[in-house]
Amino acid sequence: MAERTIRVLVAKPGLDGHDRGALVIAQGLRDAGMEVVYSGLRQTPEQIVAAALQEDVDCIGLSSLSGAHMELFPEVVRLLRAQGADDILVVGGGVIPREDIPALKEAGIAEVFTPGTSIQETVEFIRTHVRRKEVPQDIPEPPDRIDHIGIAVPSLREALPFYTEQLGMRVIHQEVIEDQQVTAAFLAVGESTVELLEPTAPDSPIAKFLDKRGPGIHHVAYRVKDVAERLRRAREAGCRLIDEEPRPGGHGKLIAFVHPKSTGGVLTEFCQRVDE
Amino acid sequence: MVVASLRLEVSEAHDVGPSIRRALPFPPVRILTPDAIIEWVTAGWERGVRRVSDFEQRYEEWEKKTEQTVKKRPERKESFVTSSGIVVRRLYVPRCGDKKELKRYMENVGFPGEYPFTRGVQRTMYRGRFWTMRQYAGFGTAEETNRRFRYLLEQGQTGLSTAFDLPTQIGYDSDHPMARGEVGKVGVAISSLADMEQLFDGIPLDKVTTSMTINAPAAVLLAMYIVVGEKQGVPSEKLGGTTQNDILKEYVARGTYIFPPKPSMRLITDIFAYCSEKVPQWNTISISGYHIREAGSTAVQEVAFTLANAIAYVEAAVKRGLDVDTFGPRLSFFFNAHNHFFEEIAKFRAARRLWARIMRERFGAKNPKSWQLRFHTQTGGSTLTAQQPDNNIVRVTIQALAAVLGGTQSLHTNSRDEALALPTEESARIALRTQQIIAFESGVADTVDPLAGSYYVEELTDEIERRAMEYIEKIDEMGGAVQAIEAGYMQREIRDAAYRTQMAVENGEEIVVGVNAFRVEDEPEPELLRVDPRLGERRRKELADLRAGRSAAEVETALARLKEAAQGTDNLMPYIVDAVRGYATLGEICGVLRDVFGEYRPAQW
Repeated sequence: MAERTIRVLVAKPGLDGHDRGALVIAQGLRDAGMEVVYSGLRQTPEQIVAAALQEDVDCIGLSSLSGAHMELFPEVVRLLRAQGADDILVVGGGVIPREDIPALKEAGIAEVFTPGTSIQETVEFIRTHVRRKEVPQDIPEPPDRIDHIGIAVPSLREALPFYTEQLGMRVIHQEVIEDQQVTAAFLAVGESTVELLEPTAPDSPIAKFLDKRGPGIHHVAYRVKDVAERLRRAREAGCRLIDEEPRPGGHGKLIAFVHPKSTGGVLTEFCQRVDE
Repeated sequence: MVVASLRLEVSEAHDVGPSIRRALPFPPVRILTPDAIIEWVTAGWERGVRRVSDFEQRYEEWEKKTEQTVKKRPERKESFVTSSGIVVRRLYVPRCGDKKELKRYMENVGFPGEYPFTRGVQRTMYRGRFWTMRQYAGFGTAEETNRRFRYLLEQGQTGLSTAFDLPTQIGYDSDHPMARGEVGKVGVAISSLADMEQLFDGIPLDKVTTSMTINAPAAVLLAMYIVVGEKQGVPSEKLGGTTQNDILKEYVARGTYIFPPKPSMRLITDIFAYCSEKVPQWNTISISGYHIREAGSTAVQEVAFTLANAIAYVEAAVKRGLDVDTFGPRLSFFFNAHNHFFEEIAKFRAARRLWARIMRERFGAKNPKSWQLRFHTQTGGSTLTAQQPDNNIVRVTIQALAAVLGGTQSLHTNSRDEALALPTEESARIALRTQQIIAFESGVADTVDPLAGSYYVEELTDEIERRAMEYIEKIDEMGGAVQAIEAGYMQREIRDAAYRTQMAVENGEEIVVGVNAFRVEDEPEPELLRVDPRLGERRRKELADLRAGRSAAEVETALARLKEAAQGTDNLMPYIVDAVRGYATLGEICGVLRDVFGEYRPAQW
């Protein structure tokens, strides 16, 4: 499913009638491609939260120039939480003394934009902090195949017979990868391989993995055409990366890892053959 | 040819009475001999083609009348001189010019205190008396604001200006649920006569003039002021001041409306009618461009939309059967002063001229006082920056100077910290001192309208008038200001202008010092004024005490009578005064009117 446009409710809590800032921001966010709903003046926190839910927005921008922010902004967040809608990003702006900002952030206002903030700053903040409701719109082609699955084992000698004798897979290559402190055995299956990994030192990454989680799937590697491009997309989507740049992975491969936190719990590798 | 034209010249001159004859090279005669003609013409050329004309006549008349005024009300000094001993004259006028140019001068620029008032509404302007230094103040409780008022008066301020908090401005008592978080924040909280008595405690209302920034509930606050006067022994006839009372710009730009336009206009004309009888020195309305400008309009739009709204008020009052010359002289205006120095000066001059023409030509006003656009100025709040706030003192100085050179009647100078919070006492004092320095040290107040005749300023003045008039015509075509507002026309124009300004700042086309250029990192935040956050609670208790201590029956009767009057067509002012006297609260009075009139809900556009 495509990611929809970011929807923002620009709201004026309290009795303040100064709406120049709110209107300029609303227009600026629209010009930046967001969908903007403007609440109009004199909204209670209850009305603002109701409108946010009804309009299914991703972000609420609160504006007050009358000094009522300390009472009204946190109330909006509190009501959102009570409704289980605290995934909505709340930001604020207006005549707000700097010393009030820590307390507002403490109360759950993600950011406070004071006079002199550019529209661009606000746009960027919302873009990077809003909870994306659906997947990216420009969906790439899937990876060509699963390049390999890495399985951590305490002992190759003990693990190999299952694969070779029961499944009849052939070890096509075995090597000690010094910098990873691992001995790897590659077993072919169709166009992919299974990679059995045995640690060579007690403090190696694989040894630590085994200590923490026991033997099992260590990572899944996807064959892609352009590791750098995949990394860029992942980074933009806010994924946690282990490698910021592609690096050589042996066998004429270029590889990079993405942290399990961003992939559903499995260390994920992108790999690209550069010799093809 | 020459003879014919000379004959005409002389006979015209002959008709205007003895004063002009002194200026002629020889006594006027019906038939001139050829020699005499030659002599007359030569004398004329020698005087730089400055011939006796309507101009000289009018100038001389102006001087004579002005001398009489000065005899009655002397100027600040007997003579004004520069450091070099150069005598500064009251007025400087064109030294020469061809007939066409002088005619244009008389039509478009003229003389101070005379139609079309381009050069100012008084003959001697600040040589007679400085503008009123009127600093807008108000926060927290009536007691705190009373202290700030007394402080400002001690510091040499010459008029009071009251800022009310938002609940008061929207007709809610401090204990109303909608008042949550807003009590005492942007101004003083006034819910009943008791608060108003405390606000002006120890301030004799016959000695000060008071401006009140109050619109939708203006009738109620004016009634409270009248009753406070009564209690001090000051009859309403002696009260001087202003209620902003300009509801149309609330729909356009400021947002503190309560009722729909029609009943709002009725309340306004009720005040016009009531004051023309009972409070004759009261400025019943201050038609405001200030907030239109703050909302992002251009200088031209500020003039155009303000005067379009003013036209709507005059039309409403005339329709109500009031004579334009009874309420016309009590209309006052309120403009902004931004940074573009010459455009601002030209704006004030253009507004004055345009209004004079509108009142005389469009509404047929006869009383010269109806033609005069008298105005208050406040420096531009939206030009203040939160960054490097001391720089704001300089901005305010430039803006205040423009207001003075534009001929303002009163002035509020903003405090440096107003982009951050309400001003501290120290900041408020610096703001007042800024005006005093302009008045007492700069010398700009020593001659009337010193920028008249500047090619640049005169052309800007003409251009602003022309462009504002185009807008006014457009609004007329839409059916007037009320219709234009209901259709969102003014709001859209302002919003677009505001957005263009923001874009110009963001792409660096416009430089705002300290914001998109010349920044400093890690500025310390100055000391700010804090309003007690528990004020709302305290006020709830005070109001409970008030309600318990007054005669409930009296309040009920007064409110019932008000309701009945609101449903009919009577002037509501006397009913409101009665209700206020019995300590009915602002919220109760506005509540009755809300029931009868309904509330305004803006269309989303």
